[in-house]
Amino acid sequence: MAGTSKTSNGRTTGATIGTLSKIDAYGFKRGEDFDYKSYENFESEYLAVLARRMKRWNEKVLDNGQAKSVKHRRMVKRFCRKGIPERHRPMVWMDVSGARKKMQKEPEKYQKLLSSDPDTLEDRLVQDAINTDLDRTFPDNIHFQVATAENQKKQLNNILIAYGRHRPEIGYCQGMNYITALLLIVVKDEEKCFWLLSVLIDTILPQYYSKMMTALRAELNVLTEIVGTKYPNIQRVMDSEGIPWMLVASKWFICLYIDILPIETVLRIWDCLFYEGSKVLFRVALFLIKDKETVIKECNGMPDIIESFKNLKTDDRALECHQFIHDCFIETNPLPKAEIKKLRTKHVALVEEEDRKLAAKREAR
Amino acid sequence: MAAQRATNNAAQGKICQFKLVLLGESAVGKSSLVLRFVKGQFHEYQESTIGAAFLTQTVCLQDTTVKFEIWDTAGQERYHSLAPMYYRGAQAAIVVYDITNQDTFARAKTWVRELQRQASPNIVIALAGNKADLANKRMVDHEEAAAYSEENGLLFMETSAKTAMHVNEIFLAIAEKLPKNEGGTNRPRPEVDITQSNPPGGSKGCCSSH
Ligand SMILES: Nc1nc2c(ncn2[C@@H]2O[C@H](COP(=O)(O)OP(=O)(O)OP(=O)(O)O)[C@@H](O)[C@H]2O)c(=O)[nH]1
Ligand SMILES: [Mg+2]
Repeated sequence: MAGTSKTSNGRTTGATIGTLSKIDAYGFKRGEDFDYKSYENFESEYLAVLARRMKRWNEKVLDNGQAKSVKHRRMVKRFCRKGIPERHRPMVWMDVSGARKKMQKEPEKYQKLLSSDPDTLEDRLVQDAINTDLDRTFPDNIHFQVATAENQKKQLNNILIAYGRHRPEIGYCQGMNYITALLLIVVKDEEKCFWLLSVLIDTILPQYYSKMMTALRAELNVLTEIVGTKYPNIQRVMDSEGIPWMLVASKWFICLYIDILPIETVLRIWDCLFYEGSKVLFRVALFLIKDKETVIKECNGMPDIIESFKNLKTDDRALECHQFIHDCFIETNPLPKAEIKKLRTKHVALVEEEDRKLAAKREAR
Repeated sequence: MAAQRATNNAAQGKICQFKLVLLGESAVGKSSLVLRFVKGQFHEYQESTIGAAFLTQTVCLQDTTVKFEIWDTAGQERYHSLAPMYYRGAQAAIVVYDITNQDTFARAKTWVRELQRQASPNIVIALAGNKADLANKRMVDHEEAAAYSEENGLLFMETSAKTAMHVNEIFLAIAEKLPKNEGGTNRPRPEVDITQSNPPGGSKGCCSSH
């Protein structure tokens, strides 16, 4: 990927204000409604933040400023919340998530998965499904554009196929394509991306992508319950309008905020996700919901509420990622891990119970 | 805009809003049909839908304005478990298959069956045989799908999101067939005064049926 990305990188050359490209630092085309003015304002400040963070990382976390590994200290959590410098992101994600350990433990695994040819119907179906999505993954991103991105597409294809073989009971779930593609854009190393994807799906996230998507459905019920506790006024409106959070937020969890929030904000969320786990997904969801409290209360029916969550990618507040993450943690504290664990267990059981009843009803017919 | 809406409102009397859901295998062109209907656009490479996307569009009939609240769902098999959330309370559904792919037609039939059993009893179902522009790769007979639709009381059209063929027509046919009196049974607010509701971002407002 490095070879083809010759575009101006807004981050490294970003000192010059007023020359914002139509394509962002990660290769995404900026939308027609992209507000260049307010982004410039934000970026001029954010660049200073980034420079300061870089310095702090070099001093405190990295081995002599050698970006080889993270010295695991208690401060790393705080450092991840404040943002991992772009240059160190691949290494830090590999480290703090445990992906590097996994990779070192089974150094040949990825190549073996790729070269194995199970020749089963299941494997062929997975391959077909992935193939259908290759041209439909970030078609507007220069790294994945159909005409020029053969190499990246091949890597995307390889990682997804390997993952499907690694966990045949999961195979391929739409959404994994976007996550993998963004990993490739940031990390630029096929094998590392495979391991980051596995550590995400196998250990960090609940089993969202399984065949029945039970954990995902449960997750949205957990969200409902937490909103009910933290923001009862909001939940009351949602209940009276008959809007399950599923309608608003399923993609938030499946795509880990890709295509929901501005790209820089997504990466800042992932910085936390890889270090401290999936709780941050709830934090962001709660924060987004709380931010719309007025809109929800004054809304005029379901369409209004759904629409109000649609333009977060160009929302000023969401764009200012540094402040966003900061405010997000403050707003959503406290959010005890144990509580979430309890709620997840409860709601997974409830969803499974529902499924069983439904299946029994079908059989009875 | 508001004035125009008000006039329309006065001239045409009734405004109904209906919930419509699109179902069907992945990559048959659900999102493309909606994009064509709502924005008049087509993308050669349309991103796969995750969860579901919500859009609105308004069409005008003789004496009624119909506002569609459209749920465009994800097609992959495993997303099936989320689908009831989206078709619950829907007054209309478009079940889409790809005329170049027999499997997608079989899948469409299972969606029809599920809707007939689980969705609102009076739901209006349309079957869309999409990608009709690819006639040289056709794998599903027009007659077969027409006969199946006839048997099951479905509206049926072959469509092309790419060329726009029958796209507005299928939505209009649904709008015609929907009962305007009650404006749908399950809605808490079947009729709204459109002068008071914000025109949604994507919609071109009333009578944008090209
Ligand atoms: N030739 C042709 N191609 C079409 C037509 N409609 C859609 N396509 C193409 O088919 C592919 C899939 O279309 P989508 O609209 O994304 O399909 P979908 O049903 O929404 O798929 P999911 O979101 O994955 O469920 C895209 O690359 C479209 O460009 C059509 O009428 N003719
Ligand atoms: Mg779609």
